[in-house]
Amino acid sequence: MIEFIDIHKSFGPKRVLKGVSLTVDQGQVLYVIGSSGAGKSVLVKHLVGLLRPDSGRIILDGRDVTWLSEAEFYAVRKKCAMVFQNSTLFDSMSILDNVALPYRKHFRLSRDEASRRALDKLALVQMEDAARRFPGDLGDGLRKRVAIARALTLEPEFVIFDEPTTGLDPVAAANVDALIRSLRNDTGVTAIVVSHDLRSIFSVADRIAMIYDGNIRLDGTPQEFRASDDPVVSQFINGRADGPMKI
Amino acid sequence: MRRLLMAPLSSVGRSALGLAETIGGATLLFGRILRALIPPRFDRDETWRQLYGVGVKSYAIVVVTALFVGAIMVIQTAFYVRRTGATSLLGYGVGFTVFAEIGPILIGLMFSGRVGANTTAELGTMVVTEQVDALRALAIDPIRYLVVPRFVAMMIMMGLLMVLGDGFAIIGATLTADTLIGVDPSVLISSLLESHLLDEYLLGLGKALCFGVSISVLSCWFGLGVRGGATGVGRAVNNSVVANAAAIFFIDFVVGWLFPVGL
Ligand SMILES: Nc1ncnc2c1ncn2[C@@H]1O[C@H](COP(=O)(O)OP(=O)(O)OP(=O)(O)O)[C@@H](O)[C@H]1O
Ligand SMILES: [Mg+2]
Repeated sequence: MIEFIDIHKSFGPKRVLKGVSLTVDQGQVLYVIGSSGAGKSVLVKHLVGLLRPDSGRIILDGRDVTWLSEAEFYAVRKKCAMVFQNSTLFDSMSILDNVALPYRKHFRLSRDEASRRALDKLALVQMEDAARRFPGDLGDGLRKRVAIARALTLEPEFVIFDEPTTGLDPVAAANVDALIRSLRNDTGVTAIVVSHDLRSIFSVADRIAMIYDGNIRLDGTPQEFRASDDPVVSQFINGRADGPMKI
Repeated sequence: MRRLLMAPLSSVGRSALGLAETIGGATLLFGRILRALIPPRFDRDETWRQLYGVGVKSYAIVVVTALFVGAIMVIQTAFYVRRTGATSLLGYGVGFTVFAEIGPILIGLMFSGRVGANTTAELGTMVVTEQVDALRALAIDPIRYLVVPRFVAMMIMMGLLMVLGDGFAIIGATLTADTLIGVDPSVLISSLLESHLLDEYLLGLGKALCFGVSISVLSCWFGLGVRGGATGVGRAVNNSVVANAAAIFFIDFVVGWLFPVGL
């Protein structure tokens, strides 16, 4: 289970999160939605200790991780993987080496064995043919798929996907959706997915939370979101230009 | 009026704060590097890659610099040598200045401009493109994975390049002495060998290793501290080059003061 309790976070004078509380049950997929700059990426980075809250607490799997030291967070990060919004592949290494790196560092595998396992992970996102290429030679969508493969190397119990389907063609996006679904159904992964992709949201989400103005505006099932008469929520999920939303 | 007076003062204050921040931050980073070295737990593959990269990047510039350093030392002394006929002192003069002082400083400066600036730019780019955060998210410590291999590679390479540079400086001096003032290479070499410059040679090597430490620590510190996109990277590279040069002169002064040779 993942719990955010009353998270506040500011950057200088800019108050991004003003008391966000959110719970993700074991084995659920929660989609986080909200307009650009709402603080979705900021919120999820707290979970793996890349950002620290000004106040509030974060509970992961029953353990308060809010103020763990950087060294203590390494153990948490092996359990809880993150796919960044920008794919963040290491551009000095081939695709294969990018995915093999966690195997080499954490399982002390030989180069061949690490590469073999990395190819298996690349196959999950249909990227095994690009193994010898370099991140700089690939487009955004392909890089993002490799980043997903890399995040899954440590067999995490919790995964954060920050906009995994943005920049992907519809077929690749549907594949990623299927992958997230199978992670949940087959391996019991608990996931937080940040997304703008309404089709993914309504086809995969167990629950949805919308961040608006530094708070959770609505937290509920896809049905509750469809039925919501909150003008902000309905403007967002129907993609209307006119409405009460402040941008 | 008040503002006119305050502006220079506050700028001095800002520089002092910046200096304190750099020294403090770099010292902390140095401490973390040492902790990763004892017992040694850092990435071997990355260290080999860095050793190779640093060597390839810098050997040519070191050879060229060294050739010119040797040549210039001869040109500087040519006038006196010709007037006094003291050709037997030429080897001593060149060796003494090059080994202990000019060689390490110039090679250190070239190295920091080439390898140090490159390191700051590379790490800075990795920071702004979130590759460093991605490492942390994969539970890989950026100090052990990125910084320590660069530290080890730069220190080893500064030592090797210094040996290489000393050699090429002598070659440059010999060639110049031969063509410019007609001093036979054998005269210069035997004068050099008779001057017993081992202390100077070792001092220069020691300085080079210290420069290797300061260049790697400072350039990594500036690289990892980048904020704010491409302009941030540019600013950091700039600061890194300036700080490295200042550190080289400062270390040269301190080491020369602690270990006076040839007196
Ligand atoms: N490290 C940081 N330093 C300063 N400001 C930051 C930092 N990270 C994020 N911000 C600010 O916090 C706000 C929220 O950013 P965030 O990236 O979380 O938005 P988002 O909801 O993920 O939007 P998008 O859909 O565009 O990714 C932005 O205004 C951003 O400028
Ligand atoms: Mg974002």
